[in-house]
Amino acid sequence: MSRFILALVLAVSGGMPAFAQDGKQIVEEAQRRARSGSQRYEGTLQVIDAKTKVTEKRWVFDRIGSHGNSKAVLRFTAPAEVKGMALLIVNHPDRSSDQWMWTPSLARERRIAMQDRSTRFFGTDFSFEDLEERDTNQFDYKLLAEESFVGTPCWKIESRPKSTKSSQYTHSILWIRKDNYVLAQIENFRNAGLIRRIKYSDIRSVQGFWTAHTTEVEDLKRNSRTVLKLEKLQYNLPMKDEDFTLQAIRREG
Amino acid sequence: MMLLRLLSWPYLKKHVLRWALTIAGIVLGVAVFVAMHVANRSVHAAFEKTVQKIAGSAQLQVSAGEFGFPEEVLEQVQNVPEVGVAVPVIESTVETGIRTQGSILILGIDMTGDRSLRDYELDSADESIIDDPLVFLAQPDSLLITREFAERNGLALNAKIPLFTVQGEKQFTVRGIMSSTGMAQAFGGNLAIMDIYALQLVLGRGRRFDRIEIKAKDGVRLDECKAAVQRAVGPGFEIDPPSSRGQHFDALMQSYTTATGVSSLFAMVVGMFIIYNSFSIAVTQRRSEIGILRALGATRSQVQRLFLLESVVAGFLGSMLGVLAGMGMAVGVSSYMGDLTEQVVGVAQRLDELAVDPWLIVGALAIGIGTSVVAAWIPARSAARVDPIQALQKGKYQVLSAGENRRRRAGAAVLVVISGVCLFFNNWKPAFYTGYILMILAGLLIAPAVSLLLAKALRPALKKFLPAEGTLAADSLIQSPRRTSATVSALMLSLAMVVGFGGFTNSIYVSMDEWMSTALNPDFFVAHSANLTNRSITFPAEVGQTIESVEGVDQVQLVRDARVIYGGTPIMVVSVETEKLLSKVKRVPLAGNSKEMHALTAAGKGAIISDGFSSMRHVTLGDMLDIPTPSGLLKLPVAGVIRDYSDLQGAVFIDRSVYLKYWNDTTVNVVRVYLRKDADAAEVKRRITDSLSGKYRLLVMTNSEVRAYVLKLMDQWFSMTYNQIAVAILVAVLGIVNTLTVSITDRRRELGVMQAVGGLRNQIRRTVWLEAIGIGIIGLVLGMGLGAVNLYYSLGMIQRDLGGLDLDYIYPVGFMSLMIPTILSAAFIAAVGPAESAVRGSLVEALEYE
Repeated sequence: MSRFILALVLAVSGGMPAFAQDGKQIVEEAQRRARSGSQRYEGTLQVIDAKTKVTEKRWVFDRIGSHGNSKAVLRFTAPAEVKGMALLIVNHPDRSSDQWMWTPSLARERRIAMQDRSTRFFGTDFSFEDLEERDTNQFDYKLLAEESFVGTPCWKIESRPKSTKSSQYTHSILWIRKDNYVLAQIENFRNAGLIRRIKYSDIRSVQGFWTAHTTEVEDLKRNSRTVLKLEKLQYNLPMKDEDFTLQAIRREG
Repeated sequence: MMLLRLLSWPYLKKHVLRWALTIAGIVLGVAVFVAMHVANRSVHAAFEKTVQKIAGSAQLQVSAGEFGFPEEVLEQVQNVPEVGVAVPVIESTVETGIRTQGSILILGIDMTGDRSLRDYELDSADESIIDDPLVFLAQPDSLLITREFAERNGLALNAKIPLFTVQGEKQFTVRGIMSSTGMAQAFGGNLAIMDIYALQLVLGRGRRFDRIEIKAKDGVRLDECKAAVQRAVGPGFEIDPPSSRGQHFDALMQSYTTATGVSSLFAMVVGMFIIYNSFSIAVTQRRSEIGILRALGATRSQVQRLFLLESVVAGFLGSMLGVLAGMGMAVGVSSYMGDLTEQVVGVAQRLDELAVDPWLIVGALAIGIGTSVVAAWIPARSAARVDPIQALQKGKYQVLSAGENRRRRAGAAVLVVISGVCLFFNNWKPAFYTGYILMILAGLLIAPAVSLLLAKALRPALKKFLPAEGTLAADSLIQSPRRTSATVSALMLSLAMVVGFGGFTNSIYVSMDEWMSTALNPDFFVAHSANLTNRSITFPAEVGQTIESVEGVDQVQLVRDARVIYGGTPIMVVSVETEKLLSKVKRVPLAGNSKEMHALTAAGKGAIISDGFSSMRHVTLGDMLDIPTPSGLLKLPVAGVIRDYSDLQGAVFIDRSVYLKYWNDTTVNVVRVYLRKDADAAEVKRRITDSLSGKYRLLVMTNSEVRAYVLKLMDQWFSMTYNQIAVAILVAVLGIVNTLTVSITDRRRELGVMQAVGGLRNQIRRTVWLEAIGIGIIGLVLGMGLGAVNLYYSLGMIQRDLGGLDLDYIYPVGFMSLMIPTILSAAFIAAVGPAESAVRGSLVEALEYE
């Protein structure tokens, strides 16, 4: 889930260096600009299935630490059936994150094993892999073109996982805005087929961090989409490490 | 073929009833064979299908017997580099509150990672089966059911289903409906998925899993993955493909399938005698035709082929009808066996279709035809050797020559001697079974001679009873030993089987009664349900303290039992509070010293084993046991061997302290409750129920209720065997009908003369009745004798291969006393039709006969 948030944070950007012509450097710069000491927001998630049935959830998200070493707690606040459920994510720079889910009705936590990252994230159209922080060393990047996306000039970059990296996608196409280094869109492919499209919009600067306040994921196979909206976004709030532990989520639950 | 049309067809038309009876013998034998095998296979296939469907794409399973293991093991497995996916599973059958549905198989899985192994999706990928996965996880009452189950019970999304949990009847909510493909086909569609952590709560399992299912990482060989996982979790765990559960199921069912196989074989052999009898009769009646044929130039082999061809036709017809009847019977038998495995073995599966192996049908046809041909071989050979002159001498053929009698007696004596020699090498399986078979063959060889002797012995008694009718009946038996002995042999075999099974069941009931009187002596047993073999729902040990604090309770003993895999097959491990048990139960060891046995076990330095375990596993006093546990191999010496019937696969008793240490589990299956001497049992039962209400739904069963339950299981276990015995007796009775029908036909002229010279119809009736009763008496005497031998070998077979039980030889006198009127009545009933046929025929035709 932290990857989910950091993927969103990728959308934050500042000015563009004049020498940024290489695809990898552009992505790394986008990540650098997204770094903050902490983050909090209230999110609203809408899943619209193929029959246009809409389910909605709300949560409060807290993160401490920066890219690669962050810890995050996501606590659901609505609807009533899921209220109190919490997700604790502990990221590591050298390996996959550890994740636990707290279920108040069972009064117990469960460890979430990240074994199959193509699995959908709790009924949304995100897969766990979509939400991962991307280690740029695990991918090969190629700047394909410079083109306009929704009227904004962007770099169009192809990313392919290296042979050592397992992925459900054979490659992805990223559009990164030139003006603020915010990710504007990702298209994920399996061979020649487009599987999933993620669009970032409503990009605003909050405390100097350019952030997409709306993320829309489209699953082209299932013909469903998920829209995440961020509200009350704040960066660099004072937070304590001990609030990002299993004991803490049990206590709060 | 021309001979078949010219000779056989007219004869068949003339003796339709006899042929019908002959074919009925084959039909019954084949039907029982087919029904039992199809039922066995169907039950096995249903179990395998459930295992296969719920295993999904899992390649390996990590398990530690029915006790399960702590959750921490999952992380150890997931951290093995060779493992691609590892997900935990809990599996249990739970009673539904829906009257028509009985139990439902609930699979507890971790939805967050399980989809990589199992497919829950609908046929169309555009629809989610779970309305909201997060709500599913958040609400512990969430259930995912199959479309079939939903349609059967008119359930839609968000409908409520009552289930009986450890906390009583609870309402669960349907939060998803699976399509009727893939996993949803398991357990006949009576399948539900729950969040594993919610199911732990529902079943009172604590933080334990039943098994971990694994898919190896891409490019990793399965044996490499298995070895790596074994290294990570230690030797106390079984790591095998999901299909291994089918092998364990087979091991649990082995004693039952073998027992039913043996009895269906007996039914077939009995059927063989009916065929033999029918063909012997046919040869006798058609000897003049055969003589003419031979005189006209027919060769011996042509005559022999004619009879063999008839037997093939009869065998084919009988087998075909038998297969059809067997398939019909298999529906009921399969359902019965399905219930039986759940009730007795504690392994649930749901039959939704019969599993018919085409080869079984081919085999049944071959057996039916083969049996028919083998049975007809001797009569066919005799037909080929018919001397035209002898053929004209009525009744001559039915007499056994002195030479033949001598050869049979000598052959029987040789077989008995060889059989006796085999007894000295009883420990060697082939010697034991060779001795068994030879002894039965010896009985069959000697049967005609003994039948003749008994018929002669009966003559004075019958004559005294009814001078004319008795003498005629006895003479008929004496003059036709071949005809009589085939029926008598069939009856003898059936009764030998009755003595064998009756004696075994009698012995086991007596032994069980003794065992229950000592081992099952608490006043109350507290358990989750009346089905004590269902060990999937447990409860905390605190329940024991609650019960102990109830006024009137003297002592409480906690028991946790479950199966573990020992040497590749399941055994029962029973953890008990040894010292408490010793204060209330006096178990006399079959091997070992009582004091030392209990002291070592209580101190966790030894284990007590059941006699069944001892004989099946060849383990005895002082031998070291290596019991797999989640903490590694538990090495304990055998401190004593006791007679125990807790489980057919044998049981190992360990102290609860050892269980807590090695299995790291504090749960309990059963609480044994002893009352104070002055306590009012009904009042204490009420108090215990009150003390538990609101927290747990537990049943307080009285001692007599548990005894009745155990006896009911025994009855269930044996009821199928009783049915097969009944079929064998029915086949034998058919033989009596057949023999009498022929006897009447043979003696039509004689009976006609009797009537012509003033014999009354009632006298003729009584003659036929007495002849039937004579056959019944001879069959009973021989059957009881051979039965005594069969019982000896049956008990040996049970101890050796079917449960390892060391049972006392107790001849089922009471049971056989019941058989005397049963067989004599059956013989009499069998005689009614032929007797009426004898008196109602035309006198002129009878006098003209031959």
